[in-house]
Amino acid sequence: MIPILSITLATLFVGTLATFAAGPRARYVAAAVSAIFLAEIAGMFALFSAPALGLALPTQFAEPESYPWIQVAWLHVNYTVGIDGISLVLILLTGILQAVTVAYSWTEQRQPAAWFGLVLLTCLGCFGVFAALDVLLFFVFWEVVLVPMFFLIGYWGGPRRRYAALKFFIYTHVASVTMLVALLVTAFYSHSASLDFASMAASAQTLALPTQIILFLSLFFGFGVKFPIVPFHTWLPDAHVEAPTGGSVLLAGLLLKLGGYGLIRWALEILPTGLQHVAPILYAVAFASIVWGAGVSLAQRDLKRLVAYSSINHMGIVLLAIALYSSLGLLAAVLLMFAHGIVSALLFMVSGSVHHTFGSRDIATVSGITPTAPVLSTMTMTGALASLGLPALISFPAEFTALLATWDKIGFWVLIPLGALVITAAFYIWMMQRLLFGTPKSIPVGAHDLPYPEAFAMGVLVVLSVLYGILPNLLIHFIQLSPVAGLP
Amino acid sequence: MTALPWTLFAPELFLLGAALLVFLLDSLGIRRLELFGGLATVGISIALLGVLADLRFAPLAGLATVPAGNVDVPWSPLNASLVVVTSFGLIFQAIFLTSALLVALASLSRRSDEKGAAIFFGLLLFATLGMTLAALAADLIYLLLAIEVTGISTYLLVGYTRRDARGLEAAMKFYIIGALSAALSFFGASLLYAYYGTTNLATLGTGFVSMFPSPLGGATGIAFLGYGFLLVGIGFKVTAVPFHAWAVDVYDGAPSDVSAFLAGGSKKVGLFAYFVVFLVPILASQTTFVCPGGPTPTCHYLHSTFGIPLQVLFGLLAVVTMTAGNVLALMQTEMKRMLAYSSISQAGYMLIGLAVATSPAIAGATLQIFAHVFMKTGAFLVVAAVAGFGIGSRIEEWKGVGLRHRWLGASFAAMLLSLAGIPLTVGFVSKFVLFSAAVQAQGWFVWLAVAGLLNSALSVFYYARVLRVMYMERPEVGSAPVPAGAVVGGSDPPALTLGGIGVGRATAIGLATAAVFAFGVYPQPVLAGLQMAADHLVQLL
Repeated sequence: MIPILSITLATLFVGTLATFAAGPRARYVAAAVSAIFLAEIAGMFALFSAPALGLALPTQFAEPESYPWIQVAWLHVNYTVGIDGISLVLILLTGILQAVTVAYSWTEQRQPAAWFGLVLLTCLGCFGVFAALDVLLFFVFWEVVLVPMFFLIGYWGGPRRRYAALKFFIYTHVASVTMLVALLVTAFYSHSASLDFASMAASAQTLALPTQIILFLSLFFGFGVKFPIVPFHTWLPDAHVEAPTGGSVLLAGLLLKLGGYGLIRWALEILPTGLQHVAPILYAVAFASIVWGAGVSLAQRDLKRLVAYSSINHMGIVLLAIALYSSLGLLAAVLLMFAHGIVSALLFMVSGSVHHTFGSRDIATVSGITPTAPVLSTMTMTGALASLGLPALISFPAEFTALLATWDKIGFWVLIPLGALVITAAFYIWMMQRLLFGTPKSIPVGAHDLPYPEAFAMGVLVVLSVLYGILPNLLIHFIQLSPVAGLP
Repeated sequence: MTALPWTLFAPELFLLGAALLVFLLDSLGIRRLELFGGLATVGISIALLGVLADLRFAPLAGLATVPAGNVDVPWSPLNASLVVVTSFGLIFQAIFLTSALLVALASLSRRSDEKGAAIFFGLLLFATLGMTLAALAADLIYLLLAIEVTGISTYLLVGYTRRDARGLEAAMKFYIIGALSAALSFFGASLLYAYYGTTNLATLGTGFVSMFPSPLGGATGIAFLGYGFLLVGIGFKVTAVPFHAWAVDVYDGAPSDVSAFLAGGSKKVGLFAYFVVFLVPILASQTTFVCPGGPTPTCHYLHSTFGIPLQVLFGLLAVVTMTAGNVLALMQTEMKRMLAYSSISQAGYMLIGLAVATSPAIAGATLQIFAHVFMKTGAFLVVAAVAGFGIGSRIEEWKGVGLRHRWLGASFAAMLLSLAGIPLTVGFVSKFVLFSAAVQAQGWFVWLAVAGLLNSALSVFYYARVLRVMYMERPEVGSAPVPAGAVVGGSDPPALTLGGIGVGRATAIGLATAAVFAFGVYPQPVLAGLQMAADHLVQLL
């Protein structure tokens, strides 16, 4: 058996260090690391696709590796990693976004070694979160993501970056701490043999029902802030708007997914009974996020802020799909997370490019950019259409599945997300109408279309949106190779 | 009763020898800072190696300096009237010596024309000697005396430069509070003696040897009062809130190297004292005890008198200390005062170990103490190094320091992240183990873990704020003095010259930083040792 997860972790770690040390040539190292990472992900897919190797069993984690880490009489912590279909798809997203972020920021001038190093470190943390199957290991990677993001926002960000960085750090740290307490209580109160996922998932069922409910709600809060759920979402617009483009891409594309993944793996799979008893609370929060995110987006003039609020809307649908607790719902949730990762990354790149090409992201100020920047306009249009769920683009199968699963489980409540979809379509179309096709206004002299690195990065995302939009089965096949696929 | 061999004291004898040699050379007119510093470093290193060698083999037969059969043996006034060797004590000796070693190494880089080098290193050695002796205590009076040896040395250390009024004020304050603390502790000890008729730590507080037949009258009151005085007296050393007020002024006024020793080293001796004095009555009430002559209300009452109230008291003390320390740290604008309050809050976390009083919690608290040595000593040493560049202690003066001196900045960032409990640092592992232990004990102890975690989330705010200043803000033009040789201009702040902090200081900071990460990634060897020591301690007491 090839310990591909540990190998990947090791290469990412060494690659990150090398990038920090590489000075002005950091971008080449970062590109090489990204390429190796993608190759390793391809290897993981190959292992998963080969049932002959006895790996692709839907009820097991493939490639599990476990070594003792901290072992005293009362505390058993292991280095345990392993992936199932859900983690695999999100790891693929990590690899893609790392590569396109490096490509997009190819010409970064300020402290390039630190920039690329921190980008790689963020992705290393995300990969670790998706691969870890031990509470401590999971938490370590979860927090590892925070530190580089704090610096990415705080050093390379916009005018209010310091405030935004601090707010991001504190909000998410408080949530992490809550999550850790809940997981520790789960482990110790259920006398779990170790802090491993498998052992906890088995022993947690012995807990009393009220305990399970309280623990699930604590975990829901802990993961929900990352989502972010209304009303704990206020860090997100600040962080996104102030973050540099690459930072926003990783924030929206990956960090929000950590919340969704955490909720599935460490809350739903460990305390399913708790989830089923509080599902209405989750629905309510999801509906609030969906409606609030869509409504507030409609009122935004800042392109980046608009995309940020639309993330709240989309992640609300993810939450709804998870709360349904059905195999179709989870499939939709994971698909939607993947789709949102690709599309929001594309849209944040678009708003970054609009900003530095035209000097402003204000939709009311800048308009009619199509004649000046046709390529950028095409990217904008693809991103917006994908995000509003146009068929044949990546979000459509995901959102369709989510709505279907909602209808299956809670019937006419599906009208709420459906209605919000209409609002989403409205604000995107309105944005395109003004920004792309309005009378040319505030176009600086000498404004030009996209530089090659940015065009390349966005082009990759556009191609992926179309590819997975037409062939979603490329992902669905793998997502179903997970323990929760057996749900009704 | 077997006589303990002199080799038992080999580490202490090395420290004493080095201290005496420093003063002897000074009186002979040989006054070289490098010589004194070298002597101190070598003396402490040898002592540390001795202790580590003992720990390596404990509790197996044939230790380096302690003969077989003398470690972790149950003791009573009969076989250990003054000193006893426990692996718990040895671990504290190692912790004390590590802190002293880092400070001695860093102080090698003090300005060599500085007056009073002999006083500094001599007193550092004496203070360390007092701490290592305290870690051998089997008797309350002996313990308090050993703490006083440390105390008197550190009062002088704070004011030894005799240069600025603030240092002298700090020394005076420290001295007066120290005298008060000692007086309270000794008074408490005398009350306990009146009640129990012994001052041996193993029998004190168990109620076995009560001189008074009735526990319900004034007599129990006397014992409780005795413990109360000890709690307060030692509480000053631990900087538990509300006995903390002196610490901030003293850490702030003392030279940074001395603050590093006070925060990283000498306050831990107070925590050690808390453990050995108070664990006995707490544990005594947890064990089932067969009363001689059948269970009478009196016997049962005597046996469980102090356990639960003491645990509750320590729980309250822990929560109040960590919360007050953190809230006050939030408001600080001076780096050293911020670190002082952070140090107070960390003492609060450590007290959780005493409130929970299970062997996992004791191990967790000891790990927290171990971690604190590296992160807090290291942090103060960086402050001293940065002060060498003419950057003062006000936090706003630190703008851009992280970019101007990358290695110092990275070390300081590591210390702060570790203090805040961010993973892959030793500060995270120690909190994780400590809070896990509280959760594992279940019951109301879970709330101590919750309080601790909320507090560590709160503390992130002020640590991150310093990181923000160091990395995200540029120095105002003309505000911070630009050192000679720095490159001015360009889009980034000028880089400070890399030299100038001295080899000794750079080594000390480098060691502390390496330890923060090394033990943060792989704490198993240390934790296994601490757990064993804690298990033995609980069995012994």
